[in-house]
Amino acid sequence: MAEVILKNLTKRWGDFVGVDDQSLEIHDREFLVLLGPSGCGKTTTMRMIAGLEDPTGGEIWIGDRMVNDDLPKDRDVAMVFQNYGLYPHMTIFDNIAYPLKVRGTPKPEIEPKVHEAAEKVELTQFLDRKPKALSGGQRQRVALARAIVRTPKVFLMDEPLSNLDAKLRVTMRAELKHLSRQMKITTVYVTHDQIEAMTLADRVAVMKHGVIQQLGTPDKIYNDPANLFVAGFIGSPAMNLINGSVQDGMFVTTGGTRLVKVAIPDRAAVILGVRADDMKVFEPGEGDIDVTIYAFENTGESTLLTVQWGKQRVIARGSRHLRKNQDDVVGISLSAEHLYLFDPESGSRIRED
Amino acid sequence: MRDNTLKYLLVLPAVLVVFATAIWPLVESLRLSFTVGRLNKPDFPQGYLGFENYTWAFWEEPAFWNSVWVTGIYTVLTVALTTVLALGLAMLLAPGGRLRSGVQTLLILPFAMSPALIGVSFRFMFNPEFGLFDAFFGAVFPPLADISWLAHPQLAFAVCVMADVWGWIPFLTLVLIGGLASVPQETIEAAQVDGASGWRVFRDVTLPQLAPVLAVVIILKSIFSLKTFDQIFMLTNGGPGTATQTLSHYIYFNGMKYGQIGYSASVAWLMVIPMIFLTYAYAKFVFRKAS
Repeated sequence: MAEVILKNLTKRWGDFVGVDDQSLEIHDREFLVLLGPSGCGKTTTMRMIAGLEDPTGGEIWIGDRMVNDDLPKDRDVAMVFQNYGLYPHMTIFDNIAYPLKVRGTPKPEIEPKVHEAAEKVELTQFLDRKPKALSGGQRQRVALARAIVRTPKVFLMDEPLSNLDAKLRVTMRAELKHLSRQMKITTVYVTHDQIEAMTLADRVAVMKHGVIQQLGTPDKIYNDPANLFVAGFIGSPAMNLINGSVQDGMFVTTGGTRLVKVAIPDRAAVILGVRADDMKVFEPGEGDIDVTIYAFENTGESTLLTVQWGKQRVIARGSRHLRKNQDDVVGISLSAEHLYLFDPESGSRIRED
Repeated sequence: MRDNTLKYLLVLPAVLVVFATAIWPLVESLRLSFTVGRLNKPDFPQGYLGFENYTWAFWEEPAFWNSVWVTGIYTVLTVALTTVLALGLAMLLAPGGRLRSGVQTLLILPFAMSPALIGVSFRFMFNPEFGLFDAFFGAVFPPLADISWLAHPQLAFAVCVMADVWGWIPFLTLVLIGGLASVPQETIEAAQVDGASGWRVFRDVTLPQLAPVLAVVIILKSIFSLKTFDQIFMLTNGGPGTATQTLSHYIYFNGMKYGQIGYSASVAWLMVIPMIFLTYAYAKFVFRKAS
């Protein structure tokens, strides 16, 4: 059990900056997700915590010890790899037992621990097999069991679900969440999947170009994004971003439609962000404005309407029973309490007074 | 039907070439091994002896057993030394290893040299009067100055082993670099995080995954060591005495120098036996990997 503290952590390869002077405190027993698109430095950050990558600058603290110069084996962390990283020549039992064996655990203690870990991930009947004989999901469980067979200070998980098919990913996600709440060990989890981040995390750090864009609870980053990048990255479908200006306390689209009241001073250029769920769909004439449907999609649990709005397209979520056709006209209203305004130049959030 | 005929017709030239260059000499040498086969007497091959050449080698010829012994020790030493050193070099040179990959190009040079040339150059380097090694040892360890390396049985043998190891390391290193590159990096990193030291990672994770490649390397090198000839011929010519006389050299000596073709053919066939085992093992490993 330990907290992980990163102080001004930097990683450069020549001119390329992987992680740029980032500081981050991960609390004891916290489940922190590093979220971002590929190449944003999230995996590099985790690999530096594991000791598989040397930082160019800055400090890494695990508990009350600075571990910069410690080898991976001396950091007391356990890691789950994207491609599982199982030892193909060992049986599942030996794979799970390896961290214990190599740390000199007495033999009689190894077996019950391996069985306990295998039970937690429901693998007991496969212990004699080799990894080759298992499916992707089962292999991922082995990797998980190998991580939880001892009690490390920190769990590190590098996109552990990304090699699984969509259905299995949902099941494994729930299992991971259950396990992590059960074990209460500080966990750093890397993913590019925002659903995983939202569902698993105590706190999420959204990264881009080696810089943490926002650090906060899933609630916070979903409902109160710090900037344009976070707003656009979190949520599915992605938040609608509409170009326009503010005139006389009204948001006006570039096409000239006066849309909605906003409580900020007038400005020439502004981006309005609104989630699909925060746009209500009405019959023509009943909403704030009328728009034409560009595409109508029924996802089963709801409907998605891509509508043509001047030169832009935005996505609104309609009710489950709504049925419309392409080129139909519908009315749309924006819910005023869930609008976000951004500066198009810097991407930073413009907060209402 | 016509397709079938054409199929065989097209393969025929290749079959004929293999037959002429491999099958026929093999069969002919087997036939000669049962004859008197003296080149320096009339009416070659002077009639059949049955297995007498074979029994002669086994029961009457200490020189045969000497060359078997020399070949055995030579093979064990060169295979072991070359494999271990090449593995060490491969670890250093593999992607993520400690040496720059530019060194890889330099490394291939010894392998580009013909074994005969290696033999000649090592003979020069160990020359007691103007040799490089002699000057070096003389300067660093004065007691070792002016030793006639190639005139001393054990030292001459050691020089032969050294020259062979030197010549073969590059090729084996390159093969092993390829083998190491196919070991998934994640398994190595997983072991590091699991708590394994550098040595344990190597022993528990890298080596077992490298085993198939290593087996091929060892078998291949054994085959080449067993049939070593040109290098020995140029370096020591089997001497001093018969201290470095390998089987191939013994066969050559009896056949070409003494004109005992029948006898040397029988010894050559004795050598075929371990070769067949090794080749079979090699084929098994290579094709198992491919499938």
